[in-house]
Amino acid sequence: MPPLNFSIILPLLVLTVWACLLLLVDLFVKNKGITALLAALGLAISLGITLSQVGATGTSFNNMVVLDGFSTFVNALLLVSGLFGIALAYGYVKRMGIERGEYYTLLLFSVVGMMLMAQAADLIIVFLALEMLSIPLYVLAAFARPNVNSEEAGLKYFLLGAFSTGFVVYGIALVFGATRTTSLAGIVSAANAASSGTSSLLLLTIGSALILVGLGFKVAAVPFHMWTPDVYQGAPSAVTAFMAAGAKIAGFAALLRVFSLAFPSLASDITPIIAVISALTMIVGNIIAIAQTNIKRLLAYSSIAHAGYILMAFVPYGQKGVVATSVAAGLFYLVSYALTNFGAWAVVIALEKAEGNPSTGSGQRGLEIADYAGIGRKHPALAAAMTVFMFSLTGIPPTLGFVGKFYLFRAAIAGQFYLLAVIGVLTSLISAYYYLRVVVTMYMREGEPETTSEPWLNLTWGLAAVLTVIVSLVPAPLFDWASQAVLKLF
Amino acid sequence: MEFILQPLTLMTFFPLLGVLVLLFIPGDKKNALRWTALIASLITFLISIWVLTMFNASNPDLQLVAKYNWITVAGWNIQYYLGIDGLSILLVLLTTFLSPISILSTWTAVEERVKEFLLFFLLLEVGMTGVFLAQDLFLFYIFWEFTLVPMYFLIGIWGGPRRIYAALKFFLYTMAGSILMLLAILWLGIYQGTFSVPDLIAKGGIDPHTQLWLFIAFAAAFAIKVPMWPLHSWLPDAHVEAPTAGSVILAGVLLKMGTYGFLRFNLTLFPQAAVQAAPVIAVLAVIGIIYGAAVSYAQADIKKLVAYSSVSHLGFVMLGLFALNPQGIQGGILQMINHGLSTGALFLLVGMIYEQTHTREFKVYGGLWKVTPIFGTIFLIVSLSSMGLPGLNGFVGEFTILLGAFGSTVLNSPWYAGFAALGVIMAAVYILYMFQKMFMGPEGSIVEEVRKHGHALRDLNWREIVTIVPLLIFIFWIGLYPAPFFHLMAPSVDKLTAAFQAAALAMR
Amino acid sequence: MLLEYIAIGVMIALATVIAVIAIGLGELFGPKKRSSVKSEPYESGIAPIGPGTRRMPVRFYLIAVLFILFDIEVIFFLPWAVVFRQLGLFGLAEMAIFIVILLIGYIYAWKKGALEWE
Repeated sequence: MPPLNFSIILPLLVLTVWACLLLLVDLFVKNKGITALLAALGLAISLGITLSQVGATGTSFNNMVVLDGFSTFVNALLLVSGLFGIALAYGYVKRMGIERGEYYTLLLFSVVGMMLMAQAADLIIVFLALEMLSIPLYVLAAFARPNVNSEEAGLKYFLLGAFSTGFVVYGIALVFGATRTTSLAGIVSAANAASSGTSSLLLLTIGSALILVGLGFKVAAVPFHMWTPDVYQGAPSAVTAFMAAGAKIAGFAALLRVFSLAFPSLASDITPIIAVISALTMIVGNIIAIAQTNIKRLLAYSSIAHAGYILMAFVPYGQKGVVATSVAAGLFYLVSYALTNFGAWAVVIALEKAEGNPSTGSGQRGLEIADYAGIGRKHPALAAAMTVFMFSLTGIPPTLGFVGKFYLFRAAIAGQFYLLAVIGVLTSLISAYYYLRVVVTMYMREGEPETTSEPWLNLTWGLAAVLTVIVSLVPAPLFDWASQAVLKLF
Repeated sequence: MEFILQPLTLMTFFPLLGVLVLLFIPGDKKNALRWTALIASLITFLISIWVLTMFNASNPDLQLVAKYNWITVAGWNIQYYLGIDGLSILLVLLTTFLSPISILSTWTAVEERVKEFLLFFLLLEVGMTGVFLAQDLFLFYIFWEFTLVPMYFLIGIWGGPRRIYAALKFFLYTMAGSILMLLAILWLGIYQGTFSVPDLIAKGGIDPHTQLWLFIAFAAAFAIKVPMWPLHSWLPDAHVEAPTAGSVILAGVLLKMGTYGFLRFNLTLFPQAAVQAAPVIAVLAVIGIIYGAAVSYAQADIKKLVAYSSVSHLGFVMLGLFALNPQGIQGGILQMINHGLSTGALFLLVGMIYEQTHTREFKVYGGLWKVTPIFGTIFLIVSLSSMGLPGLNGFVGEFTILLGAFGSTVLNSPWYAGFAALGVIMAAVYILYMFQKMFMGPEGSIVEEVRKHGHALRDLNWREIVTIVPLLIFIFWIGLYPAPFFHLMAPSVDKLTAAFQAAALAMR
Repeated sequence: MLLEYIAIGVMIALATVIAVIAIGLGELFGPKKRSSVKSEPYESGIAPIGPGTRRMPVRFYLIAVLFILFDIEVIFFLPWAVVFRQLGLFGLAEMAIFIVILLIGYIYAWKKGALEWE
């Protein structure tokens, strides 16, 4: 047996142990704020180790996990997302009366699963990671129990998540049947050997398509998106924010690695499928979002639409000259989406109220778009931040979302998917309509909004807004890192 | 430090300093806010004069270039690249010139949320100046889209009753065009390997079929902005709902960004496609001229009339540009300036009377000549300038354009100029009609209405006269002695048209 | 290769056919007389007591879940014990980690009061 190299998964390992200990420590800590800080400390330590590993590569556990630029980049992003997730939850759970220490432990475990996803070099590990990241999220979605909506969200997410995991497992089984291996490297050589039109190639194609379906559920791509609006709306906002960013990053990390590494020989079959899914996701997500009046649902559909944009980075995954930059573009867009997403949800949380006023009817809990009226006047900084996020989600300069989309469309054009690029820009135009509606409400309608001001929350939206603008003006270092990260993949 | 001290960089970003200062002034100190913004924009204007003194008119190339690598990773070659030449210098001056004037015009018109208004206004100035100076397509696109945001807020927050609708329409229309341009920009960046406009021109060699597609994508963005018929329907709404300063800048500068875009990008980057598309665009331009004039005549709202007259006037500009000869293009550029001056002045004047009467309906006006003689005189001069009376600026521009269109070898038909000349006559009709309704005849009901509220309709005060007189100076100057203006742009235009001759020859 | 499976296919087909015939004939020719006694739930011949669906204290579910958790996990000891000598110290360490994780869960459940009946 080869010696195990634990340094490959050191950040993950540290975080796992930390989370286990936190579970115990929390039992004896009365003040749950301390649990939150400890959880954040764990993430920070893990982040420190991750950053110290930039440039390091290696594999371990019989080539089942891998450490490379890609995993380091994604892990760093996931850990930062975790930190944002805790910052959002810190005051929120207190205010909503759902403060329990398990929140932070579950969040840490979920991050562990996500990080494992980024490091997986074997389909079994992909499956393991998928479960590890999903199960804590199911619980977190239902965290506001006995709130009916939250319970519904948890159950829905659990059922559909389990269903989608089934697809992944079946896909892995078929791939194993076709290639007699689950290791990504092994699949490539087996697929190349079998690429002479035998039946195993068919199995391989079906298997990879099923994996695509399963992961499509996780990242909320159309037509596997049905759970998203209800779950995003029902789950506590802080959870939704973390879920929207974290699960998407992990899902896309797995998609990017599995498909570009294991299935490049299937590109001629898979590329059209991904292109259609991407186009559908952009169209459906953006068009249904127009009709939403609830900010959480709006952001849910926006999240669906953005899955479509990120999928665009994937479409040319079989083209040798293009794939590196397009995957880098995908990574960059994930960063921009995560940052904008956390900012926008932070604003949502700032306006959300624990108890509604039944007499006013709709908009009781500060979650209707109409509740945003008058923020521009009452809370200029908050409104300005939200405006930045909305513009970033639309893709208007000078925000990170614009630079991200610029890179993504470049991937589509360089891969000569002109129609897809046109669909992408036209749906961006549609999205401008509903994102601007939020801005219109904030600045151009009169109202008496009630907001909450908490230090960590303010820090989150403030930092996110500033970074969204500044990084868009100097995107080179980040993009450089992203492209260095994918270099080793190909 | 070296970066910021370059004249063009300094000129573009100086208003940001004003923004910074504004942020630290409390919102209820309205006059302090106004003075800060005014001084910031005045200094920007002074910087632009400084730039003008350094500008060598006989050099057709880009001057005072500021060029730095910006994003040069992973196959990108994006530069921070500013430069000025004969095509843009007048438009830059127009921008920096109209900005303080517009700020001055808001002195009493904007009382609500003054701080935000001025913030957005200065940001808008940054964007506009940047659009005219950027020589890298990525940078250009950022400035181009960025102008949308402040203008959207200016219309949406301080506009008239249908402001939200107008603001959204403005935003979505403009964005619809510009995202198609974005794709074309990306295509150029990927397949030509650079975003820098001079490099792209030097490289050339795009096959004519692709050129045409790229031309269309760029034209989509610019035609909406100009706006060319039939893409003009956002303009009347935006103009009518926008606050006065917004209208002035919208008509004076933002629309010019469209025509300038055609000039700077469509003509230079895709010369063969431009030659091919010239007749189509010229037809649309002529339709725009006549349509705009005809619809203007039918309006009951002063601002709407001026808005539709913009469609007509910008049709002239487009016709001049796509005559593709030196006269046409020079006339086009001059007409851009003229339109900025006279339409800007018209909107200012309408704003001044609106501030007192709160209505823009013709039918309530009448007989103002006696009540407000100074206002009447200035209004008359500006109107005559707008309809193209010889001796005033409009005439010079329109006449040069018509000459260019007549002599154009690309259009090769006198009918374009013939029909366009019809537009000049129609302009006389609707402008004089407006003037007559407002100033002649018996006293309109509004005079009495205002009097009922305790104070009579007053004539222009000093601030208003100071606001409008600089515009009048240029209206006369260009009308009587346009040579210096032509002199500034001639070498660059000659260089541009020389490229066309080559392209047209290559096509035969 | 698929031909090797044909015996199974024949077997499934025959079983299905015979079952359908047997049930179908009984359904067709058998006499049907319903009475209240016949429609009672079958409880090994003893007369039923109480309603058919009985309510159970919800605590049983928690206990059941915990039982499954800890009991099933213990099953993993068995294969380890079989190859204990081959795995050596490495196996011991792995098992220790496994038990520690179980222990953490156990302490958590205990402290949270999941093991108390009241």
